[in-house]
Amino acid sequence: MTKKRKLLLQCTGIFIVLAVWEIIGQHLGELLLAPPSLVVITYVELFLEGEMLIELAKSLRQMLLGYGLACVIGMPLGAVMGRVRIIDALFHPWISMIVVTSVAALLPVFILIFGTGFQLRAAIVFVASIGYIVLTAYHGAVAIESRYIDVSRSFSASKVDQYKKVILPALFPFLITGARLGLVHAIRAMVVAEMFIITGYGGLIFQTGLDISTAPILAYLATIMIVSIGANVILRRIGQKVAPWYEARMRAA
Amino acid sequence: MEESGKIVMVPKTGWNVKAFSQNITKYPHIVYPLSFLFGLLVWELVASQLPNVVFGSPSRVFIHIVNATISGVLPNAFLKSIRHMLLGLGLSLAVAIPLGFLMGRNETVFHMFDPVVNAIFSIPSITFVPFLIIWFGLFFEARVALVFVMSVFDVLVTVAAGARNIEPALMNVGRSFAAGRKDMFFKVMIPASLPFMFTAVRIGTVRCINAMITAELFFAAVNLGEYMEDASAFFDAPAMLAVVFLLAVFGLGAQEGIKWAEARLFPWHVRD
Repeated sequence: MTKKRKLLLQCTGIFIVLAVWEIIGQHLGELLLAPPSLVVITYVELFLEGEMLIELAKSLRQMLLGYGLACVIGMPLGAVMGRVRIIDALFHPWISMIVVTSVAALLPVFILIFGTGFQLRAAIVFVASIGYIVLTAYHGAVAIESRYIDVSRSFSASKVDQYKKVILPALFPFLITGARLGLVHAIRAMVVAEMFIITGYGGLIFQTGLDISTAPILAYLATIMIVSIGANVILRRIGQKVAPWYEARMRAA
Repeated sequence: MEESGKIVMVPKTGWNVKAFSQNITKYPHIVYPLSFLFGLLVWELVASQLPNVVFGSPSRVFIHIVNATISGVLPNAFLKSIRHMLLGLGLSLAVAIPLGFLMGRNETVFHMFDPVVNAIFSIPSITFVPFLIIWFGLFFEARVALVFVMSVFDVLVTVAAGARNIEPALMNVGRSFAAGRKDMFFKVMIPASLPFMFTAVRIGTVRCINAMITAELFFAAVNLGEYMEDASAFFDAPAMLAVVFLLAVFGLGAQEGIKWAEARLFPWHVRD
């Protein structure tokens, strides 16, 4: 399939969905489902008002704290788990447990511990994203072929060189993938937490939901969608730039 | 992996800890419970340093679980919660598996809807709660709807990716033996897609269990959600942790159970 045809199909698909949404929206009215034409107008208004972006920036800052911590702790932990069996045995059951734990169920517990300030959001985001970051790094570390390490040994590479020149480059694609996965879950967790205690951007979504029109909620959703997709694209670009073998490696995996 | 990789191993020198750790980890069914217990011990020690209202120790959580199980409150709430989870899961599988197949096997449909599906998938599904309240109210229907919404895209994306990646070689073999459309579907496609179907069901189930409690906390608090809200009103940390813990065990059990069934049914497909 040519590139042009692919693009044409993609545009047609988006157009069809928007058209169907418009028809249903016109039919149901903005109380139940605002049509896209109305959402665009509301979006511009909200955008110019500025509150949306300010709240979003605040929320994202708190999210980035938790997510950053999860990356800093999770990536080395996952890598070590993949290489050292006793560490793996110690942490694996608990990491598996964290991954399946519902963020919403943790919220009431975390509110008791952290209150409803920024620690709560940072902690929830941390817990929600670290499991995925660790497990992806772990799978990357397990998948390092022993012959690569044997080659470095044959060339009598030092431990440091072995890490720097063999293990890290082999691990890198997985770290980026883990970061991307973790980010998706970090954004989800941020919104869940904020909707629960009704603050920040998530609170904005929940509060306007009780208004007379659904157009503002849809506008807020559009922004969070753009942020989520944008962040993912940026991380992928970084992956391609720092490690050009990234795409090929993940396609093979 | 290859035999040659094993031959050139440099002999290990010193470091008995490593040998010990490699020996001990050959028995995951012993080691994992052990490290689980070890974790509980750490948790117990940490919790004993903190005030009880804030954080429950495992022993208190355990006592709470036992008491609440004997009195029947907790199992009752759990059983009631599972109802909307199962219904939502069933609905989302029924919708997402055929659609995923269609997307995975038809190039035109795939390219048409891939961007849209990805766009919706990147929206945190919890944000649909205000809509669900407007459309379905606050009770059973809304909970089923949230479970459905939270899992349907995960299943859809997994099935579509799996169906797209069915080995062309398998299809070619079918074609070489002049299999008809029916045979191609039932004897080649279906067996080839069972592994990713199981993956999709596994991911969907975990998401649904997650959504089950989310729904009970975000709509009218009932069953387990009510249990947690009551506990939080009384600053009863062990009761809340008991629910979280049981849910995590339930999710993990479902996940491992499906993995186990997969390994049993198609041993030739299991990686790891």
